[in-house]
Amino acid sequence: MFRSSSLRLAGLYTAVFALSVVVLGAITFFSMRQALSNQFDARIRAESAALVEEYRAEGLQGVVDALHERDSTPGSLDFGLQGPNGAPLAGRLAATRAGLGWSSLELRAQGHAERVRLYSVVLSDGDKLLVGDDEERIEALDGAVLRGFGLAFLGVVVLGVAGGYALSGEVNRRIAAISGTAEGIIDGDLTRRVPVRGSDDDLDRLALTINRMLDRISGLMESLKQVSNDIAHDMRTPLTRLRQKLEAGLAAPQDREAALEGALGDLDSILDTFAALLRIAQIEGGARRAAFRACDLAALARTVTDAFAPSAEDQRQALTLAVESPATVDGDAELLTQMLVNLVENALRHAGPGARIIVKVTRLGQGATLSVADDGPGVPDAERERLFDRFYRLERSRSTPGSGLGLALVAAVAKLHGAEVNLLSAQPGLEVRVSFPEAA
Amino acid sequence: MKLLIVEDDADGAAYLTKALSAAGHTVDHAAAGREGLMLAAGEAYDVIVLDRMLPELDGLAILRTIRASGVKTPVLLLTALGGIDDRVEGLEAGADDYLVKPFAFAELLARVNALARRPPTQEMRTELTAADLKLDLLKRTVTRGGKRIELQPREFQLLEYLLRHAGRVVTRTMLLESVWDFHFDPKTNIVETHMSRLRGKVDRGHGCELIHTVRGAGYILREPD
Repeated sequence: MFRSSSLRLAGLYTAVFALSVVVLGAITFFSMRQALSNQFDARIRAESAALVEEYRAEGLQGVVDALHERDSTPGSLDFGLQGPNGAPLAGRLAATRAGLGWSSLELRAQGHAERVRLYSVVLSDGDKLLVGDDEERIEALDGAVLRGFGLAFLGVVVLGVAGGYALSGEVNRRIAAISGTAEGIIDGDLTRRVPVRGSDDDLDRLALTINRMLDRISGLMESLKQVSNDIAHDMRTPLTRLRQKLEAGLAAPQDREAALEGALGDLDSILDTFAALLRIAQIEGGARRAAFRACDLAALARTVTDAFAPSAEDQRQALTLAVESPATVDGDAELLTQMLVNLVENALRHAGPGARIIVKVTRLGQGATLSVADDGPGVPDAERERLFDRFYRLERSRSTPGSGLGLALVAAVAKLHGAEVNLLSAQPGLEVRVSFPEAA
Repeated sequence: MKLLIVEDDADGAAYLTKALSAAGHTVDHAAAGREGLMLAAGEAYDVIVLDRMLPELDGLAILRTIRASGVKTPVLLLTALGGIDDRVEGLEAGADDYLVKPFAFAELLARVNALARRPPTQEMRTELTAADLKLDLLKRTVTRGGKRIELQPREFQLLEYLLRHAGRVVTRTMLLESVWDFHFDPKTNIVETHMSRLRGKVDRGHGCELIHTVRGAGYILREPD
């Protein structure tokens, strides 16, 4: 429990509040005390001035009468009047010895000691007047203030500790839910997700972020599993062929050269497949997005059509570029080029001799489309979506070269760019259309 | 030529050393990073073939170190990483060329030769010639025996590349990279197609051929003896 960060935080807050109560109490205490003693002194000084005035007007007897009257009034100050030789004349302080001006004395009266603040003046004919008050009155007020703040301090500590427990309990329960999910995933259950309360507070947002991260991870795991399955499934055939050729070469020395050359060819195509798989995995990993730049789709399409037009011509196919409107997308030029190359090569390979292939670039608002259409035999509706699967090949294409990874790479590049790939019937033929979203 | 191979895989290094020696080169071999750095920085080589992943000190660190200390020897970086960023990273660290494992030996040899005799002043030339073939880089014109030859822009670039590497084998991949900027391998024979058109325009009807196919390797533009 004491390793809980929310509890520690609550404890820290309580300590800070308690400390501020103490500081506040001290400041109040001292300034109140100052104000009280100023008031105290002012009252003494006023009384003594009034008595000096009385003396001037009424003489010694007037003062003595005034003192008697005051001594019999409850709650009044203490007074004393002494003759020039120190003889007590009147008042409770008549016998008290004190210097002129302000002083504080400890007086013993009725068996207990009390502190008295005194002010004494000498009257015009040498008589001495003392005015004083019991300091315990101030001290009584001090005690009240201290008790008040002491209670406040206790309240803050109790509330802080209790609140901290309650609060940290709640936070701990939610953090425990996150840990529980993580533990479940560590144990291999990738479907676990952190519960979300829907309160949109910071912990909820954290839970949502963690869940999105988990979705991404399980997506990656899924594609990794897919790749390993694909490799196991589809690499076995070419590897078997390679092995057979090498065995044949060993068995028949006269055919060795042809066998080795054939084996080298097989090996190269296996390596190509490997490279393509790794590249797809890398693209799906999404690390390339940092290198995105503005890419001119028309220029990119021109490079590709220029490169492939002569090859198309040799197969009596026509490859043309139609730029309906120039379009720029945010992306990775190298990957976009490779994507278009794969689409064009697919069309060249599968559309058959005499086909016309059109690469089209169109701007749509802030987005853009890039499409490759041919007027070849097309693809049956039922098989269209499966074309994006790794290693998928139409039955009639089994005999043509190619790894079956071309469109999988197209799909990966498109996804990286947030683009959508659609396979449409070009009536006749196939149109592959890549629609890029509006640039951010 | 004197070459340095820095490669930790003993079999691979032995094969490369043997094959490069057979091609007429003198080859030094370092199996680990620190030894490679000592040799690369201390001795004069024509080309350094540097593996990217090495024990002790990796290839990029060696490359950065020797470039920082002013060694300008051309470096061909070898790597098992086929990533797109890896190539850029290698070139930024100061590599002159980059080859992904596994590769055909012919590819390596062609690239080593292309790096080795890169004449420094060639960049300044405005005209490239071989026998009676002239390519004017400013006017973008090509003549053979004084007769004008019309070339498509890519064909012009292709011929320019061959002329800059006259007498040396250039591979299909080298052409894809430098003429089309394609850093992947298209399945279509676009190089062959363009090359055959170029040869049709440049060589056909001119007594001696300048562009030759080198079987299993690539092409070479060579003046007749």
